[in-house]
Amino acid sequence: MVMKGKRILVVLATAVLAAAVSATAAFGAHRADPGITKTSIHIGGTFPLTGVASAYKTIPAAESAYYAYVNAHGGVNGRKIDFTVLDDGYNPAQTVPDVQKLVEQDKVFAIVGSLGTAPGLATWGYTNARKVPQVMLATGDSFWGFCARKTCQGSTKPYTSGWQPDYPGEGRLYGKYIAANMPNAKIGILYQNDAFGKNYIAGLNQGLGSKKGDVVDEEGFNATDTVVTQQVLALKAKGADTFFIVATPGQAIAALVTATKIGWSPTTFLANVSAIRPFLLAAAAAGANLNGVISSTYLASPTTQPNLAGMKLGKAIIAQYAPALAADWAVGDSNLVYGMGVAWTFVTALQNAGKNPTRASLMNALHSLNTSKDPFVYPGITLQTSATDNFPIEQEILTKWSGGATGDWHPFGKLLTSGR
Amino acid sequence: MSALAHRIGLRRRRSDRGVSLPVLAALAAACVFIVIGCLSSNIFAEQTVAGLAQGAVYASLALALVLIYRATEVINFAQGEMAMASVYIAYQLLQWGFSYWEAFFVTLAVALVLGIVIQVVLIRPVQHKSVIAVVIVTVGLFILIDGLVNWKWGGDIKFMQAPFGNKLYHVGAVTIARQDIGTLVITIGSVLILWILFQYTKLGLAMRAAALRPAAAALVGVRVDWMLAIGWGLAAVLGAVAGLMAEPSQFVLQPTLMQPILLYAFAAAVLGGLESPAGAVVGGLTIGVFLNLVGQYVHFITSELRLPFAFAVLLGVLVVKPTGLLGRGKVRKV
Amino acid sequence: MRVRAAGIGTAAAAAVVLALLPFALSAYHQALAAQVGTFFVAILGLNILTGYTGQISIGHGAFMAIGGYTTAVLSRDHHTNLVLTMAAAFAICFCCGLLVGLPALRLAGVYLALATFAFAVSVPQVPLKFSKYLGGSGGVQSAKTVGHLWLYGVSWTTAAVLFVLAWLILRGRTGRAFRAVRDSEVAATSSGVQLPVYKTLAFGISAAFAGVAGSLFVMGTNGFAQPSEFGILLSLQILVGAAVAGLGSLWGVLAGAAFIGLLPTVSSDVPLIGSTHGQDVVFGLIVIVIMLLLPNGVAGLLARLARTRARGLNRGSI
Repeated sequence: MVMKGKRILVVLATAVLAAAVSATAAFGAHRADPGITKTSIHIGGTFPLTGVASAYKTIPAAESAYYAYVNAHGGVNGRKIDFTVLDDGYNPAQTVPDVQKLVEQDKVFAIVGSLGTAPGLATWGYTNARKVPQVMLATGDSFWGFCARKTCQGSTKPYTSGWQPDYPGEGRLYGKYIAANMPNAKIGILYQNDAFGKNYIAGLNQGLGSKKGDVVDEEGFNATDTVVTQQVLALKAKGADTFFIVATPGQAIAALVTATKIGWSPTTFLANVSAIRPFLLAAAAAGANLNGVISSTYLASPTTQPNLAGMKLGKAIIAQYAPALAADWAVGDSNLVYGMGVAWTFVTALQNAGKNPTRASLMNALHSLNTSKDPFVYPGITLQTSATDNFPIEQEILTKWSGGATGDWHPFGKLLTSGR
Repeated sequence: MSALAHRIGLRRRRSDRGVSLPVLAALAAACVFIVIGCLSSNIFAEQTVAGLAQGAVYASLALALVLIYRATEVINFAQGEMAMASVYIAYQLLQWGFSYWEAFFVTLAVALVLGIVIQVVLIRPVQHKSVIAVVIVTVGLFILIDGLVNWKWGGDIKFMQAPFGNKLYHVGAVTIARQDIGTLVITIGSVLILWILFQYTKLGLAMRAAALRPAAAALVGVRVDWMLAIGWGLAAVLGAVAGLMAEPSQFVLQPTLMQPILLYAFAAAVLGGLESPAGAVVGGLTIGVFLNLVGQYVHFITSELRLPFAFAVLLGVLVVKPTGLLGRGKVRKV
Repeated sequence: MRVRAAGIGTAAAAAVVLALLPFALSAYHQALAAQVGTFFVAILGLNILTGYTGQISIGHGAFMAIGGYTTAVLSRDHHTNLVLTMAAAFAICFCCGLLVGLPALRLAGVYLALATFAFAVSVPQVPLKFSKYLGGSGGVQSAKTVGHLWLYGVSWTTAAVLFVLAWLILRGRTGRAFRAVRDSEVAATSSGVQLPVYKTLAFGISAAFAGVAGSLFVMGTNGFAQPSEFGILLSLQILVGAAVAGLGSLWGVLAGAAFIGLLPTVSSDVPLIGSTHGQDVVFGLIVIVIMLLLPNGVAGLLARLARTRARGLNRGSI
């Protein structure tokens, strides 16, 4: 009798002990975030591989190539990066299910590099509510910089961030340049009639300052328009001698060619989202006169700066991991440089996030960047973020096209700050 | 031939003539207005010229839509994508080393065959069963072709050489590109060729018969099914021409090439009357010029409202004259 | 009698399955199922107009846009309860449908189809123009976003309610009038059916359904309404769904909704012709094949099966 009771006591005690131990283990154990194991880290992004914005589809290709290079050299702290690219066709109704799939089905660690303002706005509430990093968005909207601490659309968005200099900032640079060098210019603006275009114009006006009155006309077009002749004719008729093109590559080419075709030779400024060399060459082939067109850049150039360490590295990475893009690299497709610049930044942040990164430590790393070592950005540019500044890159340099139909962009002046 | 036409009842009666007097007068007045405008204002002339060039592109796609509608009473939603696919075929031929005009005519031949094949394989099985089924098949075709082109060639921007080069002509202070003149000439040429085909050849007569009186035509030995297939083939050729003229007007080639044009081509076809090839051309040119002039002079109609405005005007015309400017009124017999 | 009992039995069984389903699905799949519910409502509406009244409309994406923006704007500006916004969308789109139906009276067949097509293409441009109130390209964000289970529950409850409503409308005098208009306008008029009244009414009801579907659609897109979500492709998807469902009958609507709601996602998982474009190619191909094989849609197939079964039964009884 007594033996049986004792046995029961022992069993009970063991059970209680086991429970206590496992309870402490559960409490004390580090609950890993989804998407990360000892040997891999799974990230994803949504990009317009088809549709109106598909000119940018080489960006995720370059990012994948860079991650392949990193993986071949041991990965980040022994973890290989697995990058899933989904096509949302620049349609927010497609981005939402894509992001849901990445977060809930594929259980990615972070959303990295997704392209598009509207797609970002459609999903940032969702990602921030679930504390999923949604970082290095490929758009220059200033939301991504401001809303980490400020309330936007009802809540702060600390898990969302951008990478490139913002559009208003770039507009400010052109505005300041005009105010200083061509104060009596008559400016005609051709802009895409959405947030992208309107942000630029706001920045331009800020940069012009007291010379705001120089703007004589603004003509808008839809993102889906393929022809802008009527708008360019109207700008010329208003007597503009300075032409501002705020457009993505398709309409930018149309604008440049049309301006020449109607016999108009203004001083032209081109938003740098379209200053991608192969598109300029095509515009020249179709008859555009490019000499003197001004734009800006924050990236190194594979064609005018081929001896930079970053450009040599990029060329080698493309040759080894994405040989189909070699021709693009050779002709100066800056989308490829952009993609690698973003990928480099992510890998660096991941390294700074510690041996066992978590989503929180990744965000910490991204909010405390301070490096001039990104080999793909223009030499001298520092990537910097802090508690009060969530814009990683805020420096650009102005460039001017010379060399006609086989020419290129050549930087002039000094590195300028596009920040406030 | 006239005996044949008479037997099938295709002789034109005066009451059937589509162009009514008020419409003719309105069009004439519009032309006079345009000419006066061009002479008095430089920007007016420039916008008009640009509008005519763009309108010619709308007109050529509208022609294809009208041809199919006339022959088969079907609206082919895939017309734009078929045209776009033809341009990509031309692009591929150019990549393989053909010269531009060689590629042009080979593409037209390929388009002819594809149009016929599509009609025989996809449309013929359903055309008698249900109107909506045919519409859905063309919608499915739209999506399928778009997917295939994106898959084979990618969605990014490609570049093709321009058929008429980059030469510019100067008339007074207005610059006219040789490309635009070429487009206009080819569009009007297409209408003329079509007209000659339908009015003066046996094939054309057989096609008209098959469209208007299929039962009677079958009785006199017209192979109605084949006439419909050839109708689709010809429409595909017209679409290919439209695409090949549209690409240089946009300076780049991408899969979305024909999508905005399709919308305006529908408007042009309906405006001119869905059964009238001349109406398609009039409708296309009108829309092209009208949109540019409105964009220039009416400031409320900004770029966001261009498409809705065009369609609002179109609806207005339809409410007044439901069969379009040059369309024939249909008398419904009880 | 037997048919009606069988019909109610099927509907009841479907209702039970739908009620229990979410507990067997992961959250991600609940979201997918909710989307099917959204398309169910839209296709139901289009079927009333095109299937039962014979008026072809390729413009239902526009009514979804109006309903969706109603929800988003009311939620953003007045923090309105989301279910109330659905009722508002129903009412507003009913009125819009009546308004669209009026000029449509003068148009028939292809011209009507093209006019509705024009409407579908034009409506999404309106928020771009009036961007101060309607968000422009930056879209309108609702104040509240919903979880997957909530959305599933609301969308399928709405679908059930509206299905019953449609059934009641269509079996009554209104439904008979609609069918008369579809089959022969001349005969309908001679029997005393007032064409303008019933044609506009069909537009109104159909638009109201599409408006509710639009509300659900926006709720399913994280409460974010933006013009490019409502492009012409959406209207075409609904039309395809209605055709696959089978026009003129309510029984295939579930199949049609499942087709357009699930096929894109399912086909993207199949490692066919490359992931991204494979979706479109597969979708287009399957749509064409279905139309060639089943021009009257799933409902037509069901009817054929029922007839074959009835013939079999008859033979058996002899």
